[in-house]
Amino acid sequence: MFDSIIIIIVVLLLLIGLFFMLAGTIGFVRFPDFYSRMHATGKCDTLGEGLMLFALIIYETGYEGLFKGDLEHASFVSIKIILLILFILLANPTSTHAIAKAAHDVGLQPWKKTDETQWIYDQDLGTDEVMNGGEIK
Amino acid sequence: MQDIFLSVAIIIVIASFVSLYRGIEGPGIFNRIIAVNVIGTKTIVLLVLIGFIYERPDFFDIALVYAILNFIMTIAATRY
Repeated sequence: MFDSIIIIIVVLLLLIGLFFMLAGTIGFVRFPDFYSRMHATGKCDTLGEGLMLFALIIYETGYEGLFKGDLEHASFVSIKIILLILFILLANPTSTHAIAKAAHDVGLQPWKKTDETQWIYDQDLGTDEVMNGGEIK
Repeated sequence: MQDIFLSVAIIIVIASFVSLYRGIEGPGIFNRIIAVNVIGTKTIVLLVLIGFIYERPDFFDIALVYAILNFIMTIAATRY
């Protein structure tokens, strides 16, 4: 009974984390602009990874530790994963901020929603590559 | 339980290949930096899952070192 409850919670958390990770990946491929891509990946990756590692902590302490009785080994593994989650929660927003600040300092313009004619005009002039691509001249 | 971990790991590998498309194709250097960052983030979860699948706790140390390397790589690439 206790066993199956823990496994249900673990699978649920793993699936939610997997959903966030897949949403971040789809947003990373499909969004039109560098800043919006970073919006998708920065949030969804941190949240998905945190949830999946948290599910693995629950599996380790609950199933391996309490149910099978190997509590010392389980706490050792859990502390390592907790350290991993704490480091990721510190490092991932920092690196996202650093990338955004570097792009802003280089002078990458955010994407604006233009109508059809303006879009064609930009493409004809060749400024589209500069505005959306972010190639450093 | 091993099968669930294995299927989640396979889905993560497929997702990291999908985001590798943006790393190859995506215009500009910043898209490539953020693609490397995303793939590194997925790899950390993948390493922890592999450690659970094969029941070897050594992989968590590798995941920690990989997280630190990923962070340092991103900071260094944005500072240059």
